[in-house]
Amino acid sequence: MKKFTRLSGLALKQVLRHRTRSILTLLGVASAMFLYTSVETLQRALKVVTEQGADDTTLVVYRENRFCPATSRLPEHYLTDIRSIPGVREVIPVQIVVNNCGASLDVITFRGVPSETLVSYNPDLEVIDGSLSDWKTRSDAALLGRHFAARRGLRPGDQFEAVGMRVWVAGILTSPLAQDNNVAYVHLPYLQQASNLGLGVVTQFNVRVNSHELLDGVAEAIDARFRSDVIRTDTRPEKAFFAQTAKDMIELIAFTRWLGLGAVLAVVALVGNTLILIARGRIKESAIFQTIGFSRLDIAALTVWEGWLLGLSGGLVGILCASSFFLWKRFTFGNEGLTLAIEPRWDVAFAALVVVSLLSVLASIWPAMLASSRPVVESLRQS
Amino acid sequence: MKNQFIALPFSYVSRSLLREPIKLLQKVLGAALVVSMVLAAGMFNQGMDRMLRNTGDPDNVLFIGAGSEDSVERSEVAKRAEGLIAGGVRGIESRMNLPSVSGEVQYMGMVDFPDGARGQGLLRGVTPSVFQVRPSVRLLEGRFPGSGEILVGVSAHRALGVPESHLAVGKTLSFDDQEFRISGRFEAPATVLESEMWLLRGDLMTLTQRETLSAVLVRLADPAAFAAADLFSKQRLDLELVAIRESDYYAQLSRFYAPIRWMTWVTTAMIAMGAAFGGVNLLYAAFSARMKELATLQSIGFSRLSLFIALLQESLLSSLAGAWVSVLFAWFFLHGNQVFFSVGSFSLELTPSLLLAAVVAALALAVVGTLPPALRCLRTPLPTALRAS
Repeated sequence: MKKFTRLSGLALKQVLRHRTRSILTLLGVASAMFLYTSVETLQRALKVVTEQGADDTTLVVYRENRFCPATSRLPEHYLTDIRSIPGVREVIPVQIVVNNCGASLDVITFRGVPSETLVSYNPDLEVIDGSLSDWKTRSDAALLGRHFAARRGLRPGDQFEAVGMRVWVAGILTSPLAQDNNVAYVHLPYLQQASNLGLGVVTQFNVRVNSHELLDGVAEAIDARFRSDVIRTDTRPEKAFFAQTAKDMIELIAFTRWLGLGAVLAVVALVGNTLILIARGRIKESAIFQTIGFSRLDIAALTVWEGWLLGLSGGLVGILCASSFFLWKRFTFGNEGLTLAIEPRWDVAFAALVVVSLLSVLASIWPAMLASSRPVVESLRQS
Repeated sequence: MKNQFIALPFSYVSRSLLREPIKLLQKVLGAALVVSMVLAAGMFNQGMDRMLRNTGDPDNVLFIGAGSEDSVERSEVAKRAEGLIAGGVRGIESRMNLPSVSGEVQYMGMVDFPDGARGQGLLRGVTPSVFQVRPSVRLLEGRFPGSGEILVGVSAHRALGVPESHLAVGKTLSFDDQEFRISGRFEAPATVLESEMWLLRGDLMTLTQRETLSAVLVRLADPAAFAAADLFSKQRLDLELVAIRESDYYAQLSRFYAPIRWMTWVTTAMIAMGAAFGGVNLLYAAFSARMKELATLQSIGFSRLSLFIALLQESLLSSLAGAWVSVLFAWFFLHGNQVFFSVGSFSLELTPSLLLAAVVAALALAVVGTLPPALRCLRTPLPTALRAS
């Protein structure tokens, strides 16, 4: 064990001895790991909002065959019918207005909700600046998600105009649901009138059921209730709704997997390339090590240590840069009125660190074999 | 005595390159990766830009609902506005005594096929006057749709994710449980329109239970007549309209997608940086291994400048070979491919400007990659370099 530790010290000295080579490798690995971490952060954010868990109890009632909030129009009076269906715990009508339905970053989303039910439907919402009562009393008031407010530099008391509406910022809220942090909550009647839809029309109903097992049954009951109505509904669990509605966004994020794979290959190629160069440039030195008592295994281990140190340090830089970037920029991917908050995650950073460690070791194996398998005498004779 | 500049023969440069084929291959492939990324990102961004630019005609004015300037899909325009605009705006182009005014409904909907396939596509409710305001549209086969019929763009199958045969003339598809027969196919080269499906406005309004139009498109006889259109929208406050040039609308849409384009460049930069760092490392090792050889050349009369030029020529050759590989890759595997994006489908094209970008990227890679290792190698004092192992 002691010997192994001593080898790590020697490997560190070797890495520091060839600073230019080490810095170039480190920067190359950092670029690749920046990309890998970014891709994984996107993938994980998508997974969180689309993969159903046993604690999911939310349904979304949308108009049948509609995918954009601009076209899903449901009568608000459906509320009382939905509420009366057994298993339904809470219902909230929501009007959604976005600047564009297309998939892009930084989409502006307004959610119009009845002021009296916002907090009862979502008790985890917390107003961190400004006042909830101000929002309740002023018809053009908006409660901004903290990321939405931070991106636009808005504070309570400010006014801003977007999507053809002018609103007054009553407060900034935070919520454990990432989507809430990226939208602006306004009064339902205000949004209905400002967006020319008129009173009595909403985009969707969000329904909470009593338990996860009731999701399918209640969804069927809601759709059955309105099947003979002029406007039929399509009710799906919230995460399935997201997966089916934000198709463009999902396809775009799915494509980034290839970039992640490219980044992984780049790490292997970079570390492998550097170690082969090291092995070729140190033939005589490795032979001398062997004559003074180092075994072939030690020489191989030394190469692996160097590869691991280079990979890990580059990986750390890349992962930290990517996480800081997402922490600083707080991107929101939007599509069809749905928002995907892209936030740095510890589990993604840790997994990326494990990946870069394993890749560095993997990339070191061949160069380690090269370095340790040459005949000592022949290597010593090399000019 | 001042050293006379004697250039190393080109045969030395080419022989040096071919001395280590594996290293040469590494250099060529590294350069090819970087240039391919530049080409791919450039093709994507140019394709998207071209599509949005071509769709917006500066002679056309779009009347959309106030507050919906960002997206026609959520715009609401009173149906009567179409007639009022035709009669109230001066300078509208007229063909066969018919004003070029087209009130349209735009709708993103799910379409079903008899074999069970489903796809989401953009439906546009139109009247025959649509051809007056969109001169780039050409009917390839079939005819303008009647009631219960639909006209499809040549790229609509890509948007729907179905085989092209599903949208052949005479086939059927369903929207909102209503069957439509395909009456014809149209093209509108390099525009978003090619990914759409057009049906009679009345049919679409009935099915979607919509009483308003999405927008009214007007073709002006003279682009300067836009002022009259703008004045009309400002005078008729009751209609709650905004007049915007169609080209400006699509330019705005292009700005909306700017972050996506920006992402592609960042990705390219990251991959290029990784490859470039690896390449520089390789060159450091390659030049260091030849230190003694370069010192010998110096001692027999070749100046440092001529040696530097020879090393630069080696890098330029390998980088340009990499650029050729990437151009061939782009031509055979990317050029002509269709990319479908939210706003429509566009084709990837290898344009002359991208070819120039590929050459510039390869040259930059060669120069930037050669400078530090070559300078380090050539700045070593001659006695030290000659003793190098």
